[in-house]
Amino acid sequence: MLVSLIAYSSILFVALLGAPIFAVMAALALTAFYFSGIELSAVAVEIYRLASAPTILTIPLFTFAGYVLAESKAPVRLLRLSQAMIGWMPGGVAIVCLFICAFFTAFTGASGVTIIALGGLLYPMLTQEGYSEKFSLGLITTCGSLGLLFPPSLPIILYGIIAKVDIDQLFLAGLVPGIILMAILGAYSIYMARGITRPKHVFSIKELRDSLWGARYELPLPVFVLGGIYGGFVTATEASALSAFYVLIANCFFTKDLSISKDIPKVVIESLTLVGAILLILCCALGLTNYLVDEEIPMKILYTMKTLITNKWVFLLVLNVFLLIVGCLMDIFSAIIVVVPLILPIAEQFGVNPLHLAIVFLTNLEIGYITPPVGINLFISSFRFNKPVLELYKVSIPYLILLLIALIIITYIPWLTLFWFNS
Amino acid sequence: MERIIQTFDDVLEKFSRWGIVFSLFFILGFAVLSILLRWFGMSPSWLEPMIRHVVFLSAFFGGSLATSKGVHIKVDLLTHLVEKSNSKVIRWMHRNLVAFFCLITTIVLMKASYDFFLVEREFGSVAFLQIHSSYLVGIIPFGMGLIALRFFNKLLLGLIQGDAREPNRI
Repeated sequence: MLVSLIAYSSILFVALLGAPIFAVMAALALTAFYFSGIELSAVAVEIYRLASAPTILTIPLFTFAGYVLAESKAPVRLLRLSQAMIGWMPGGVAIVCLFICAFFTAFTGASGVTIIALGGLLYPMLTQEGYSEKFSLGLITTCGSLGLLFPPSLPIILYGIIAKVDIDQLFLAGLVPGIILMAILGAYSIYMARGITRPKHVFSIKELRDSLWGARYELPLPVFVLGGIYGGFVTATEASALSAFYVLIANCFFTKDLSISKDIPKVVIESLTLVGAILLILCCALGLTNYLVDEEIPMKILYTMKTLITNKWVFLLVLNVFLLIVGCLMDIFSAIIVVVPLILPIAEQFGVNPLHLAIVFLTNLEIGYITPPVGINLFISSFRFNKPVLELYKVSIPYLILLLIALIIITYIPWLTLFWFNS
Repeated sequence: MERIIQTFDDVLEKFSRWGIVFSLFFILGFAVLSILLRWFGMSPSWLEPMIRHVVFLSAFFGGSLATSKGVHIKVDLLTHLVEKSNSKVIRWMHRNLVAFFCLITTIVLMKASYDFFLVEREFGSVAFLQIHSSYLVGIIPFGMGLIALRFFNKLLLGLIQGDAREPNRI
């Protein structure tokens, strides 16, 4: 007992010191199996289960497509188009930021690429438009994870694999909550634009037409993904292959933004390094979560919880508080892999729909990206814009409050997530 | 000694980079081919499992690169505090302790997965395209071995170089 306690405590200590999550998961699984008298090769058996996950293919291909887009001139073209479409509105430029960031985050999975790739374009654009530095920094930092609920977001796919929930349904479930998050931030942007006296952009049909033509290769992408999947033409896996193939061909041979021999290998290495890091955690966590489920840990937690919580709505409140703390401490990928198997059976017992749970879970973790003290977007923005992290803490607070309001709406009106399926 | 380890690590880095680029193009090419074949009413049963196993293999190449770049996903609660510490000894101990922990874990995992490989070699069967299932299971000890070697190099370089430079971001 004492030996096992020392072993687990040492692993947790090394985890806090910054050991990779995959190694921590593997060490925990190996230790748990060892003390239970189970052969350690059972951990390898669990790792191998990943090779039989049918949707595993979507992770590298969608991530690769997102990275190719971010590396090309697509952000500039889409920015021009969004500006031509909505730049003339009050708060239009800030709303353009919301749209562009949501699009890129959906494809790159909120891995920091949005802030790094688009921050340099969006920040000067906002400040030149007359927005305060605080507002602009806060908006870009928040937008770095906006779009997580839109297809083909990597966290949604990962959640689907872990929770064994249909990914196509998850894509659909996240649409309205994602729009709510954008609408709330959009309304705030319009409110903040009221004091700006600079001349607004003039709407021009010619500019709209030219920018539409300029973005002709990027515009079919959402159609490929959403239209393909919900039109029944392709599965999510096939959509990922077609998107990646299309983005590669379009950017290397049509727009010629990237060279297939010089730039693409770099993009492959960059994107698949992230994918490798995620899949390794997934592999190693399979052993640990299997052990936890075998030991009926979720059921033991449920038993304890049921003595304190008696209804679904209180459970959701407690869950939100718990997930906000998780979101502050862990990155989204590790949190999905570790926490989902534990809370899924408990939520089921409280009558929470798995799709609703997924969206509540992901919204919480999206908020975690900008929650001080360790929200990752705060650090990325601090690095990107060369500002002290403390300043980022301050500017993110209004956005944090707005996102929490959105979270309450999403949590307590399940219909917003589930109405697609009720009919 | 330091040069030998660095050269060896560079070889592993190049191997992982080539491996990952090859894997991505293989996955992409065959995934598109499988869609095209399905449209023409043909879909060989070996195609999908083969692609999935290459994705599985690419995870280890990606893990190897993440190790060398120090971009593994981790909880950063104490890292910032330790890295800001004025004491070189604390920083040195921190980095090498983490590298040592990762090395031991990956070695134990490699051994556990090698045992699984041996069991599969004895009791397994042909999976697809006449490939025995043990070769597919063999991806795990191979991949874990590759990552273990990267951690081994990191640890050795960290011990030799001390706090002179920062090669040891895990």
